Amino acid sequence: MTLLALPSNREESWRWSDLSALPEIAARQPQGGVPERLPWLDCATGGPRLLFVDGRLVAAESNPGIVGIGAVDIAPSDHALARLVGHEGWTLRLASGHAPLGLVQVIHASTGAADHLPARIELDVDAQASVVETFLGHGWTNRLSEITLYKGARLMLARRILSEAGYVSLADRVTIGEGASFTLTTLAAGGADTRLDGEVRLAGDAAYAEAGGALLARGRQRHDANLVVRHEQPHGVSRQVWRSVADDQATCSVAARVEVARGAQKTDGEQSLKGLLLSRTGTINSKPELEIFADDVKCAHGATVGELNRDALFYFASRGVPAEEAKALLTGAFVADALERIGEEAAREAFLQDAGAWLAGKQADTE
Amino acid sequence: MLNITNLHAAVDDKPILKGLSLSVNAGEVHAIMGPNGAGKSTLGYVLGGREGYEVTDGTVTFDGKDLLDMAADERAAAGLFLGFQYPVEIPGVSNVQFLRTAMNAQRRARGEVEISAGDFLRLSRAQADALGISMDMMKRPVNVGFSGGEKKRNEMVQMGILDPKLAVLDETDSGLDIDALRVVGEGINRIMRKPDKAVLLITHYQRLLDIVQPDFVHVLAGGRIVRSGGPELAHELEREGYGAIAA
Repeated sequence: MTLLALPSNREESWRWSDLSALPEIAARQPQGGVPERLPWLDCATGGPRLLFVDGRLVAAESNPGIVGIGAVDIAPSDHALARLVGHEGWTLRLASGHAPLGLVQVIHASTGAADHLPARIELDVDAQASVVETFLGHGWTNRLSEITLYKGARLMLARRILSEAGYVSLADRVTIGEGASFTLTTLAAGGADTRLDGEVRLAGDAAYAEAGGALLARGRQRHDANLVVRHEQPHGVSRQVWRSVADDQATCSVAARVEVARGAQKTDGEQSLKGLLLSRTGTINSKPELEIFADDVKCAHGATVGELNRDALFYFASRGVPAEEAKALLTGAFVADALERIGEEAAREAFLQDAGAWLAGKQADTE
Repeated sequence: MLNITNLHAAVDDKPILKGLSLSVNAGEVHAIMGPNGAGKSTLGYVLGGREGYEVTDGTVTFDGKDLLDMAADERAAAGLFLGFQYPVEIPGVSNVQFLRTAMNAQRRARGEVEISAGDFLRLSRAQADALGISMDMMKRPVNVGFSGGEKKRNEMVQMGILDPKLAVLDETDSGLDIDALRVVGEGINRIMRKPDKAVLLITHYQRLLDIVQPDFVHVLAGGRIVRSGGPELAHELEREGYGAIAA
């Protein structure tokens, strides 16, 4: 890519992002090679596995099964980063009455340069899938996923960004049909900066959407999540639970918006955006937004930013627990609110461990 | 075991303790009584090592070591237990996790091996049973949704599991009904009334001292101990009030 046109901070939806590293990463050549450790989740049910290194499938380490590799049927995007994704990627399409699939696992590893990849998930009537995506490496990993859930379909999507450096930008366009359920949980627990964009439409009656996660940042790291949940039909339920932790000079930003269309009566929306500052020089930006055009809806939202409770820290200390260990436990409990919502046990346990490892890394840093 | 000499302490630059001296030997129970604002809770926090409680003069030794030189968690590992007047709620951390973390941190600090999960569960079940706390409650977040009495009983469960040498109990009797007071008092006797242990009971009232009978009673007023005596002093205070004695 020769011309990388990036939005500036003057645009409202990009004000908290720092994209300045991207042109340099985009100009790099990938180092190549497969990561030594591939953190596949150990789960009894098996399921398709895909390893992408620098945006290319590594066939020897993958077992795509029903997942298609190749041209992806996806509408172009006008999103500043997602528009770069091209046409080659992966597709998970499940018909009604398909056989149980197991857990779909996708690992995206970057060896230092930029790669862009689209994905398409389409679940037909009453189809069900659970997908875990893991991000590794140190380049710029850029993704656009288009997700369509037909009547009664259920998708559990969980993503963990463990990349040690670089940038990870993930954009989603999600359409949820009647009585269908979509849950997305994202954990950022590495050293990369992130930009997460989501546009979730509850397009059928009594659709369910959950979109949230935990953003952990230290050093000069920046995480930036931007989410719009649109209730277009009645009886929809949406939950956005975000927990952000900023240490050192790091910044976590969450802009979460709920829109309720005129006819979307009996909508039940809830937002909980909580931030925890581990140092006074960290920054948490929270921007909860509601736009409601129906008159019979229930929408709750709460946004708080705070520090670890001093009384709790002394209580731990008085029982013999050293300060850093107490801080890690209290911070772990804080982010668990978001991660414990993951319905798939193997994924939930792994994500809680990843968050714990991040917090333990914090301990190592200060000792 | 505990030697406090001429202790001065301030909170936000305001002097609270003004020359307090006290010696506690192994096998003894001491009660500290006194009017509101006398510095009773401050004494507990200073001994516990809470931030913001600044010692401006004096010394405190615990088993011959300089207590004031240790961080709060080191004091606990050395065998000091501070019972809280208002036990803290910790959402997201279960009692079992809290206590096992505490116990293992103390053991590591003392150079001992960590306790196994099975041994820990057996130990916590025994202590919880003795204080009428169910294992179901032990698996719930620390003190969250517990009544005032349950929180105080939970403090005693913690004390029983951590098995300290010296317990400083700050108004452990406040907010308890008569039955709970008996359970807590008997818990203190069972866990701490031993020749190698000692207790400093900070309290307003005689009623706990009917169950946990002190060897010594001290009256704390104006940041100093103004009178010391045997158990009869507590009865005298109950009859005549602090005014007459602390004056």
